[in-house]
Amino acid sequence: MELTDADLVARVLVDDDQHAFGELVRRHQSSVRGMLRQLTRTDVALADDLAQETFLRAYKNIRSFRGEARFSTWLYRIAYNCFREDARRRKEFVGIDEEQLQAEQDPQAVDSALRHDLMHALSLLPLHERSAVLLCCQNGLSHDEAARVLDIPLGTVKTNVLRGREKLKRTLAEWGPN
Amino acid sequence: MDEISEEDKLDRQLREAAPYLDDNGFTARVLHQLPAPRCTRRSFRGAILLGAALLASALAYVASDGGRFLIVAMARLAALPTLWFFVVVFGSGILVMTAGAVAAIAKASELQS
Repeated sequence: MELTDADLVARVLVDDDQHAFGELVRRHQSSVRGMLRQLTRTDVALADDLAQETFLRAYKNIRSFRGEARFSTWLYRIAYNCFREDARRRKEFVGIDEEQLQAEQDPQAVDSALRHDLMHALSLLPLHERSAVLLCCQNGLSHDEAARVLDIPLGTVKTNVLRGREKLKRTLAEWGPN
Repeated sequence: MDEISEEDKLDRQLREAAPYLDDNGFTARVLHQLPAPRCTRRSFRGAILLGAALLASALAYVASDGGRFLIVAMARLAALPTLWFFVVVFGSGILVMTAGAVAAIAKASELQS
């Protein structure tokens, strides 16, 4: 019988079982790294560094996981905080801003396959809409869970998801049916 | 209705568009960076408890004139009528069982929280 996330967390808490934590990492690494890759606009190295930081923080603070939300939701929240802190630092040092990054997107890099079109369209969304769409539409979180992860009001999440969806639809429609 | 199914379609496409990322040593790198397990602290705690129990036993033995109170208590128990003896044994059993159940419930609720 496969252990649930809650069982594994209990093992980490009681026995400091690092194998159990390893299993949690194996289960969630793909979704956390995938989300961070989208947030960092496919900067794979940075996303993986942030994902490592996410899991290390999760291990150190596992006692603060109360089991009220899903373990994955708790991880997304840590991952999003890691990303936000890093973005803040980089903004200070490099002066990156959303519009500048958006303008730097290379239109030639657009792949014709739907999968790549979608991921590219997603990466063009502003951060607040991208993160809401990523969590709700791609990772299946409820609006309420996403609001807790992003630490913003429920209504704002709904608006961001709606606007993000609309923009995605528009962008994909502009690129045609292929 | 169409709008809802269109949203579902977009969500499904988004989920399908996100590829599963192979681990490629990611988990091993994370585990390598974890702090050392707390086993030393746990065994230290065990040693303190064992030491305290041994010390308390030794003190009780010395203070009770070589454990004389045990012999006296056993003699008293043996002198009890059968019914009273049964009541004392049954009561002790219930007491130990209740303490065990309380400890188990406390541990379970600690794990759940």
